[in-house]
Amino acid sequence: MTLADTVSLPVRRPRPKRRSPRRSQWKGLLYIAPAMALVIVFFILPVLFTFWMSLHKWPMLGGTRFIGLGNYIRMMSDSRFYSALGFTAYYTVIITIAIFALAFPLAMFVERQRRMVGVYRTAIFMPVVVGLASASLLWVWFANVDSGFLNPMLAWLGLIDLKTNFFASFDSAFFIICLMVVWKVAGFTMIILLTGLQAIPTELGEAARIDGANRWKRFIYVTLPLMRKTMALSLILSVTGSILAFDQFYIMTAGGPQNKMISVVYYIFNQSFVSFNLGYGAAMSLVLLFILVLISIFQLWLLRVGEDRP
Amino acid sequence: MTTKKEARARRALFSAGGYHGTGLLLAIFFLAPFAITILSSFRHGTEARLPPIPPWPTTGVSLDAYRSLDSFGAGVWQHTLNSAAVAIGTALLTVIVSLLAGYGFSRYRFLFKNALFVLIIATLMIPFQSILTPLFIILARLGLNNSLIGLTLVYVTLQLPFSVFMMRNAFDAVPKEIEEAARIDGARDFRLLVRVLLPLVLPGIVTVAIFAFLNSWNEFLAALVLLSDNSKFTLPILISAVRAGRLGAIDWGAVQAGVTVMSVPCLFVFLLLQRYYMRGLMAGAVK
Amino acid sequence: MKINKLLAAASLVTFCFASGAASADTLQMWVRSGIGASFTKLVEAYNASHDDKIQLTEVPFSELVQKYATAIAGGQAPDALSLDLIYNPAFAAAGQLEDLTDWAKALPYFASLSPSHVKLGTYEDKIYGLPLSVETSVFAWNKDLYQKAGLDPDKAPTTWEEISENAKKIRALGDDTYGFYFSGGGCGGCMIFTFMPLTWGAGADFLSEDGKTATLDTPEMRKAVGYYRDMVKAGVVPPGAASDTGTNFLSITNGKIGQQNLGAFAIGTLVTEHPDIHFGVSLIPSVDGKTSSFAGGDNFVVTKGSPRAGLAKNFLEYAYSLEGQKVMAKYGSLPTRSDIAAEVLKDLDPRMQVGVDAIAVAKTPYTLQFNDLINSANGPWASFTNAAIFGDDVDAAFANAQEEMQSIIDNAQ
Repeated sequence: MTLADTVSLPVRRPRPKRRSPRRSQWKGLLYIAPAMALVIVFFILPVLFTFWMSLHKWPMLGGTRFIGLGNYIRMMSDSRFYSALGFTAYYTVIITIAIFALAFPLAMFVERQRRMVGVYRTAIFMPVVVGLASASLLWVWFANVDSGFLNPMLAWLGLIDLKTNFFASFDSAFFIICLMVVWKVAGFTMIILLTGLQAIPTELGEAARIDGANRWKRFIYVTLPLMRKTMALSLILSVTGSILAFDQFYIMTAGGPQNKMISVVYYIFNQSFVSFNLGYGAAMSLVLLFILVLISIFQLWLLRVGEDRP
Repeated sequence: MTTKKEARARRALFSAGGYHGTGLLLAIFFLAPFAITILSSFRHGTEARLPPIPPWPTTGVSLDAYRSLDSFGAGVWQHTLNSAAVAIGTALLTVIVSLLAGYGFSRYRFLFKNALFVLIIATLMIPFQSILTPLFIILARLGLNNSLIGLTLVYVTLQLPFSVFMMRNAFDAVPKEIEEAARIDGARDFRLLVRVLLPLVLPGIVTVAIFAFLNSWNEFLAALVLLSDNSKFTLPILISAVRAGRLGAIDWGAVQAGVTVMSVPCLFVFLLLQRYYMRGLMAGAVK
Repeated sequence: MKINKLLAAASLVTFCFASGAASADTLQMWVRSGIGASFTKLVEAYNASHDDKIQLTEVPFSELVQKYATAIAGGQAPDALSLDLIYNPAFAAAGQLEDLTDWAKALPYFASLSPSHVKLGTYEDKIYGLPLSVETSVFAWNKDLYQKAGLDPDKAPTTWEEISENAKKIRALGDDTYGFYFSGGGCGGCMIFTFMPLTWGAGADFLSEDGKTATLDTPEMRKAVGYYRDMVKAGVVPPGAASDTGTNFLSITNGKIGQQNLGAFAIGTLVTEHPDIHFGVSLIPSVDGKTSSFAGGDNFVVTKGSPRAGLAKNFLEYAYSLEGQKVMAKYGSLPTRSDIAAEVLKDLDPRMQVGVDAIAVAKTPYTLQFNDLINSANGPWASFTNAAIFGDDVDAAFANAQEEMQSIIDNAQ
């Protein structure tokens, strides 16, 4: 409709040389129209619908009932929701640190132009391209106590008892999941960080070297500040991805020993599709969306700050 | 003099050794799980329960695991075909839609441009698991439920934030002068886009296509909820049935075969196009 | 405009896709995968002998209910469904199922249909579900391992002290041989099926008679937990059991498990798929030595408003015929009709009879919250079984589960 309106407006003063801004305007809109149509139909509408549902007691089967903010009030005293939030935060912090702790050295490692570096880069990146579900499945088998590979190997190295069941306790299961995620994601973060590293003019490092700064100091005072923007980008991707984590817990531990690994999305999934409280699930989704927007604004602010710097 | 030179050479050699030693260890860490899984999937059915020590078939190569995998659902070929159709369709559509949108956002000015851009990016932040029910109902209204086309459209939407972001950056990186020059030569709008700009943003396109392909190839939950016909299920649903076990026992051989079938095409596509892909990814990340 | 056209074209294509499958005399039916071959074979037999066809869609069992519910919400449900009977009350209460009362009561053999199933299929005096497959839980032991461990392979243990002792002797045989197995990694469905009978036989239950109070913390339950804990502690249970969410429910098929509780379906599976395993079957002893069982299986339900309800009834009548019952029994499903049970089982493995005997002592809980209380992998029962048997703090496990169950029941009122 907006398109049609814009088109029908008479062009006030035709300019022979430049394209008219109005013409250009509706053209621009035309180019983004397919994308907007998809986003509206498959994203905006469902989200609005979700909001509508969140104001109802909405069982998956049977009739619905308007309850206003009832779902939101229930959320405030739902201890399982809080523990899901807590676990998600815990996971996000640990996994983000773990990914960066590995990806940064990896990026520095593959930055140098040496022989074989392309091969190493490719090898490290390979797990990124398989799906999280396949990767989870692979590692479930890998770490299985009866049929897996990890137990015999680690037992052979003398690190564990052959019959250790990694998925029986929270800490070891959590460790395996983190190991899987780091294995799968580190390559991606590495490449993002690599672009940041390569964008740093080599002269800067040289200058610092001539000034007598050692390797560590050069990293802290030259490399890191210049990487700020890149780090913010990969941070956003990593944090958003971790907050929405679901597949790995669902596939690998089904919520972990005694429900200790229920992430927020998992809890929403359970409420919506296992207990069929769609209204309550919708309300929690919107709260989660709100949290994510807040975090993203904060991170975008970090990104902005980066732009002011040289 | 000579000793100094020798020492330096020795040091260089040592550092090269250290470098490649580290590289090799890293490569093993990141590749071994694939290698072990793929090799193990060719073991005899009787070995499938045992740990993969050594991680290759010891009693001859066998396709038992694949036969067992094939006995789930409507057969592995059917599901692979479905997955391929959805993944390729998603990749194509995503490229077209995001190419146009990226061009629009990069080259034109219009009302609410930034707001609309943020809106598209915001799709990234919704756990789409939570909007599955509305999605299902909307698809049903459109007559697109239980169809691979409906699923494809949903996947394209899920791909848009990343792809539009990527393509806008790709167009931003093209110097305006090239465009001006082409415009003087008489190329306009769409022709300009196709003839002149397309080759310049090709790495971005390949990145977008690969991401779309991989993500839709691997997606599980939406496929499960939105499809309701055995013969239309995609591979991840087959794999989840394998994971759930049959007759109360999980067939690890079939799991290995499933992981292999799921990941080998991904690895293959990546290796084939990785030059473009890396370039596109890095160009997109610079912004 | 373009978009509209595109959508129209797309839906047209979809329509072509879909129309190949559906015609007037084809019944769309869903079953859970992993249920065993009995039902698939029944459908094959039906399709071979009738003009009408049944089209089966196998859905991963952990996702069947949610998928069906989503499909109903979108108006795309199948005509009929093989529904885990414990979900029957909740689905009937939600008003999504076709009322079968008059037709069912007119069946000449209505009185001999499995009573647990009919009870679960009944909601407010109307019948919405009828038995399709019957499954009871029984105790099984590996005769070869019994022999090797110096035990009498033909004598079934009758108390849990005996089972524990036997388990230890079998475990003593060596590295990979274990005495007992259960899926203890939070598989609510497995544990209600195999573990709850330990307390039922002794007269305890996890819900009060009216279903409004959780009564999990009973001396009987504590005793049952104690037996399992001791076996785990003694190392006679494979370490994988602690994280098995039901995928390896039938570990006895690997030939290295001495004893376990399993379903009557498994008898058929063992006989046909693993003929090399010699096993005995008996009723599950309770903590005080009486016997009990869980009556499970599937009910046949018809989606409300399905235009093919007549065809569905036809099919069900075939399933209840001697021929249909025989096909199902051959692949491990127990007879749903007690009046012809003896005839159906005549030529089959005698161990199947134990499964039929179990029906007499079996229970099935009737609650609308079964899913949230028991079956959900993240529900209180699932985590209770894991925490109480493998965890460090039994009292806390009881207290937490009791509290959470009560709150689920209260929230639903």
